[in-house]
Amino acid sequence: MTSRARRIGRLGIALAVAIFAACLLLSLALGPVSLSPAKLVGYLTAGPGAGGPGNTIFWDIRLPRVLLAFIVGASLSVAGVILQDLFLNPLTDPYVTGVSSGAALGATFGIVLHLAPLPWMTLLALAGGFATLGAVWVVARRRGRIDIYVLLLAGVTISYFVTAVISVLMIRAGQDMDAIIYWLLGSFNGRSWPEVEVALFALPFLAVPLFFTREMNILLQGEKRALELGVDVERAKRVLLFTAAALTAIAVSVSGVIGFVGLVVPHIVRLMVGPGHQPVLPIALLGGAAMMGIADLLSRTMVAPSELPVGVVTTFVGAPLFVYLLRRRRSGS
Amino acid sequence: MSTTRIRRLTAVILLLAALALGVVALSACGSGDAAATTDASPSAGPITVSDDTGATVTLDQPAQKVVSIAPADTEIAYAIGGGSKMVGGTTYDDYPEEAKSLAKVGDFSNPSVEKIVSLEPDLVLAAGGIQAGLRSKLEKLGMQVFVVDPTTYDGVMEDITKLGQLMGLDANAAKVVDGMTTAKEKVQARVASLDRPATFIEVYSKPLMTAGKGTFIDDLVTLAGGSNIGAEAGAGFLNFSSEVLVKDDPAIYVAMAGSQSTPGAIAKRPGYSGLAAVKDSKVYVVEDNLIARPGPRLAQGLEQLAAMIHPEASPAP
Repeated sequence: MTSRARRIGRLGIALAVAIFAACLLLSLALGPVSLSPAKLVGYLTAGPGAGGPGNTIFWDIRLPRVLLAFIVGASLSVAGVILQDLFLNPLTDPYVTGVSSGAALGATFGIVLHLAPLPWMTLLALAGGFATLGAVWVVARRRGRIDIYVLLLAGVTISYFVTAVISVLMIRAGQDMDAIIYWLLGSFNGRSWPEVEVALFALPFLAVPLFFTREMNILLQGEKRALELGVDVERAKRVLLFTAAALTAIAVSVSGVIGFVGLVVPHIVRLMVGPGHQPVLPIALLGGAAMMGIADLLSRTMVAPSELPVGVVTTFVGAPLFVYLLRRRRSGS
Repeated sequence: MSTTRIRRLTAVILLLAALALGVVALSACGSGDAAATTDASPSAGPITVSDDTGATVTLDQPAQKVVSIAPADTEIAYAIGGGSKMVGGTTYDDYPEEAKSLAKVGDFSNPSVEKIVSLEPDLVLAAGGIQAGLRSKLEKLGMQVFVVDPTTYDGVMEDITKLGQLMGLDANAAKVVDGMTTAKEKVQARVASLDRPATFIEVYSKPLMTAGKGTFIDDLVTLAGGSNIGAEAGAGFLNFSSEVLVKDDPAIYVAMAGSQSTPGAIAKRPGYSGLAAVKDSKVYVVEDNLIARPGPRLAQGLEQLAAMIHPEASPAP
């Protein structure tokens, strides 16, 4: 790595930390019921359960929701970085592995069977996600190694298949159809500490790829080259794939299927700091969190006291930003 | 010179247009004629009513074979004694019990046009919203479609009256409407002088959804003597901010059964413990179909809501 790239990387990380912190503060302070900074400090020092609607809003509704949005955003974004690089395919997002469809199927079963959202629906979603990963894995495994292209195709195909099953369930679900549709749309509304507790399991997985930056950089040059350079390619692939799938399954199980962040944030980060994973991974983590946080902030404030679906906001915010960066880069080079 | 040519041209165009119109009219009548001439009763003139979309529905005689593709419409038809005229319904029909055994034409969101045609109805009862596109399809096939899409309690009663006319069951319909009017007047007399407590209707929990202005749930809450919190968010069925819910602090919290919640689970939700409704144990679950279906059972829904919002003024159940 050249010193210039290193400097850009360091600058990028500093910038990302600053943006992350600013977004966190904004998300906590702003909302349909505005809480002034002085009040925020008051609530923080008073602790939860001190009484009063402001305190309840901060501790029971806003804080857990913001934390959840940040963790989900970070998870999807990191999963996106991993998968785009493993598949060497820029169109990849965390949902191509079929994990999200599997999770959606699990949740759909939960809804149809009228199980309470927590823990059953979340557990079913997690189980569905990992079961799908297992199926895709088995299809793609040949003589002890995972064929990345077969995995991609199997993921997409199984994803279609599972989606078709969901459609059938939806049609048969009658009056539960709405509930399934809302779940599929994705939202942080109504989520609180129990969901945050589930999402916390994503944190160790967020750290895993940071230990594999060297392998990921080499894998960008292709598996053959990586083998020649002495990388244990299969081990790296196994760990990284499982990590991405776990991140996706956890994210989807607590928030539904929220699009665009996992596709676009990794690209935005690479456009800004180049492909090296040392800076890309932490910046994508912070950037994904910040973008999801801001998207959820907009979703809860723009049409208050009603709300917009957060997936709509991520797309509205992300698409123009992405197009702008693509154009700028092309004219710059 | 040129004026005569223009005149001649106009005449030709008009003639062609008239011809085309005639052909269209003939072909449109062609299919209907055979059915109409078989047993047209000369004494009764055509029945004409306008439905909730503003469209005019005309029947030469009271409908004898009716297909309903909306469960609310099915309930109305049975309530006014039209059960024997029903030839088809949807898989959503669950009330009254007899409606369950109707020939099924599909479900509410996706009824089969072919199946409807095969039942040869002279009247199809539909709902608004997702069924709007279906209307033109059915009308092109020569069927009369009556859309029930009211937004108020009174609007439901009007629709019941109109359906009574279309099915030749005016007197029965009047009886049902009288019953609904009495229920409404009784409730209103009881709550007229009382405060209007802030009432929240939960349509769905994740995301939190409520009923805003222009829904008859809003109308029912108002009639039952409550003040609907959802109305501040806008019209229709809406997502609602849990933060604003805590700030507005509803005194009454009513969840629809479709939200898959129980009063106990609702009270335990994060942030809910401080709500007046939770502290006073005024969290209820109501059967969706009593307050969300524009049918005769709205009267029961209204009475239940009134008992939840103003238990002090309501007779013991």
